Amino acid sequence: MTKPLICVPGQRLCILDKTHESGQGTYERQGYIYSSLAGVVDVVDKDGVKVVEVQSTGEQTLVPTQGDIVTAQVTILTQDFCKCVIKCIGNTVLSRTYRGILRREDVCATDKDRVQIYKSYRPGDVILARVLPITEAHTYNLSTAENELGVVIAHSEHGYPMVPISWTQMQCTKMYTKELRKVAKVVPENMNTKT
Amino acid sequence: MSRKELLSKIGLRQDGRRAEELRRIRCKLGVFTQPDGSAYLEQGLTKVLAAVYGPHQVRGGRSKAQHDAAIINCQFSMAVFSTGERKKRPRGDRKSTEISIHLHQALLAAVKVELYPWSQIDVYVEVLHADGGVFPACVNAATLALIDAGIPLKEYVCACTASLANNNVAMVDISNQEETLGGPVLTVVALPMSAKIVHMEMSQRFHLDHLPKVLNLALQGCKDIKAILDDVVRQHVKDIGSSTGWSQTNRKQ
Repeated sequence: MTKPLICVPGQRLCILDKTHESGQGTYERQGYIYSSLAGVVDVVDKDGVKVVEVQSTGEQTLVPTQGDIVTAQVTILTQDFCKCVIKCIGNTVLSRTYRGILRREDVCATDKDRVQIYKSYRPGDVILARVLPITEAHTYNLSTAENELGVVIAHSEHGYPMVPISWTQMQCTKMYTKELRKVAKVVPENMNTKT
Repeated sequence: MSRKELLSKIGLRQDGRRAEELRRIRCKLGVFTQPDGSAYLEQGLTKVLAAVYGPHQVRGGRSKAQHDAAIINCQFSMAVFSTGERKKRPRGDRKSTEISIHLHQALLAAVKVELYPWSQIDVYVEVLHADGGVFPACVNAATLALIDAGIPLKEYVCACTASLANNNVAMVDISNQEETLGGPVLTVVALPMSAKIVHMEMSQRFHLDHLPKVLNLALQGCKDIKAILDDVVRQHVKDIGSSTGWSQTNRKQ
């Protein structure tokens, strides 16, 4: 292995042209690529274009943006919305959680008027959701109006894990009681990459 | 050497430095575990701690958040035991508020805030020992803490002071002793690589003819400080990298 090339913020890395592109941790200024982090230079080949990236040694700081798939845990239910804490963005586990809100009209894609929050989620459920355009600063609006989004992990009122049995129901593994949830159709990751 | 002279006939200052010499700078990154980034910086006897939290969701007044950029929240405080005379309160007085605002301006020039919309970055700076050049030390420490936190910066932002001795010789990096002896102090915050001045402040007036001389020395001081910080950051990255086996950096290969 070659010795890692260390760079610091503001260091000029290379010229910006057709074969070199600025990637994560870098920025462009006056025809050159500069580093914006302290870390190690990494050149990734993408379709014949060399993407220059800088990998920081620390953990990565990430902020949810519109369209991201996030993993969140439900905390509070009301008639009109449920509050959640966002724990992961994509594949990255966050060191600090963000607050999110899931409104009643964003729970399902169809039959929006007949959705009832307490028949879809319960506190403690781990859900997959998509981040909606941000309109107010203090919270992120989430949506589960897709088949692939909804409850992934849930526990019954007796405290045992539940398995999905239909789009709207989950069953306790111990007591065999059925509870209502907005179940997510979990797609294995390797299937996504093939399509 | 007379007590009153800023610069002796043989060109030495009160503390034995030459006119264009900096005080010794020692610094360390990652001194705390709780914040996302932290740094400790010693510039002569001035000792400063800096901690950075974020970027995170905006707390408190929700109207402050911006849709296209992160907000930087700076808090400057001086420990009550940091000065010769014990301070009544560590923050909230006029001087601390002013320095907080100046620090905010200085950092805003370097941090790539547009990458984090609707978020907030907190920078807390604490002075443990004030011996002149408190504000420049805070800027330098905050830069290191931001780098440690992995927050993208356009480049280093460095600060330095300069003064005029005996009405014709420029001096760099003014200590508390020299500040109290008198003489105008020029504080410059700069982006040393692109040679841009972010912030400039003057405590007294002197003749305009002297300004280029003093300003150039202050800018040179910023560049020298940048070189010192650069070494420390590189060493820090190397230490972290080799202790983790460069694991985080090679995961894509």
